[in-house]
Amino acid sequence: MGNDRFEESLERVLDPAFRLAMTILDERTAAEDAVQEAALKAWRHRTRFRPESDFRPWFLTIVANECRSARRARWWRVLKLAEILKETRETRDDERMDLAAALGRLSLHHLLPLSLYYHLDLPIEEVARVLGCSENAARQRIHRALAALRPEMALETDS
Amino acid sequence: MTFDESDLRRALDARSGDPSPEYRARLHQALAQPRPATNWTAVIAVLTVTVLTAGTIGILVAARNARPQGGVASGARVSTPSRIVLPSYAKVMAPNSTVVWVLIDGRLFRSTDQGNHWQERPMPPQFGVRAAISFIDDQQGWLLAPGSPTTQCGDAAAQIWHTSNGGATWTQLPATGMAAAQCKENISFVDSNVGFITAWDDNHRPVIYHTSDGGMTWSGSPLPDPPDFTTQPGGDTLRASWVKRFGTTLYLMAFGMQESGQRQYVFTSNDGGATWRWKTKVASPYVVMVTESRWLQLVWPGQSYESTNGGQQFHLYDSDFHTDTPVGGPQIVFADANVGYAEGRGAVQRTTDGGAHWVRIKTPGT
Repeated sequence: MGNDRFEESLERVLDPAFRLAMTILDERTAAEDAVQEAALKAWRHRTRFRPESDFRPWFLTIVANECRSARRARWWRVLKLAEILKETRETRDDERMDLAAALGRLSLHHLLPLSLYYHLDLPIEEVARVLGCSENAARQRIHRALAALRPEMALETDS
Repeated sequence: MTFDESDLRRALDARSGDPSPEYRARLHQALAQPRPATNWTAVIAVLTVTVLTAGTIGILVAARNARPQGGVASGARVSTPSRIVLPSYAKVMAPNSTVVWVLIDGRLFRSTDQGNHWQERPMPPQFGVRAAISFIDDQQGWLLAPGSPTTQCGDAAAQIWHTSNGGATWTQLPATGMAAAQCKENISFVDSNVGFITAWDDNHRPVIYHTSDGGMTWSGSPLPDPPDFTTQPGGDTLRASWVKRFGTTLYLMAFGMQESGQRQYVFTSNDGGATWRWKTKVASPYVVMVTESRWLQLVWPGQSYESTNGGQQFHLYDSDFHTDTPVGGPQIVFADANVGYAEGRGAVQRTTDGGAHWVRIKTPGT
């Protein structure tokens, strides 16, 4: 892939890539860093990108990996020691927890498929490619993520 | 209690956002420029295509690591304005109370007066993007040059370089015994013979490589799961950071994500790093061992903690330490019980009283 084509492709996927990073990291500066790092890595490895492949799932996979690294390294998750027990108690008292807070507590393993499917509205085939699994496995990941989102909450869907 | 699909979409929308026009424009600019204005004339004469390729990489690197006075391309970091306009990637190593080394944006600096004056030292011919250093004094040190990894750090080559004259010359070590699997991240030498390299990936337990012949040969051993941590493919794995030695006991910090959130642990080894045993859980991956018994968790004034019994209990600690580092956390190293350094996004601070008071010192190369 040449420079011009790479740039054009990146421009087309920049918005969904940034939204994915934002939903995972929930912090603009971190999302900007993650997408920027992903762009750098994508450019370096652009020769691995097969022309017949779709650029979007390929780049979103790199963004997801960058977000994973960023979540592991983010240090504002530092807990004040005095709050550890308090947090545990609050966790148990999750009746008051709303959906947004539940998303905030979700692991990347569950948050990623939800973001891809419900936020970016990717088809299940593309979700599977980003997750690196089969379509059936991707559906299972989404189902399990919904279950993990709020064990006592059920998602009402038409299907 | 239920929620429907639209509730979930709204909640995800609330967490999301679009890239700012400034961010988009600067990223576009970085990608659009043909080459950085660096001294690559000879290379251009040899192979124009190669230069165009390398030039674009240079621009991207420059955009990522904004260097305020560097000569590379735009030097613009593609992000919201930082509170600290400095390079973003640095490694600090303090082998004793006077000597401190800093590897920052691919440039190596040494100070022999606690960071008051800096001297730039040569680097090996190849050192990659995320190099790590370990020095045991002002002369002898090692540099880990990680190669480009495959997806999820499945495989990644690494080079190990050694200097015994303060970086004037470097020798590549054979690194026998180092597997291709996993990303090699940190290097720590505790004396001229014994050293460690940490390796990790998203699907397996981390491996701690150790050498007892100055880095010529290495043996790896996986880090066991602590009782409340289960390594699972897909990111629920541990990642080791520093290794320190007090007496005959080695200490190692590792952190990782679990379904319930992030966890971090201190491990110990009493057999030179051949095996590791979980010792204790700590509240932050940025706990630093000042001495074997005195550990610090430095965040900002009013939220820093100290343990004086080897991490068993922590109490509030009165320190004026603060950092503007928004991501990644500060890197804090102590040379001895009193002298320590902290680095965050290129800003360097120093303490000479064990962590109570910190002063900003000049970042070398800026």
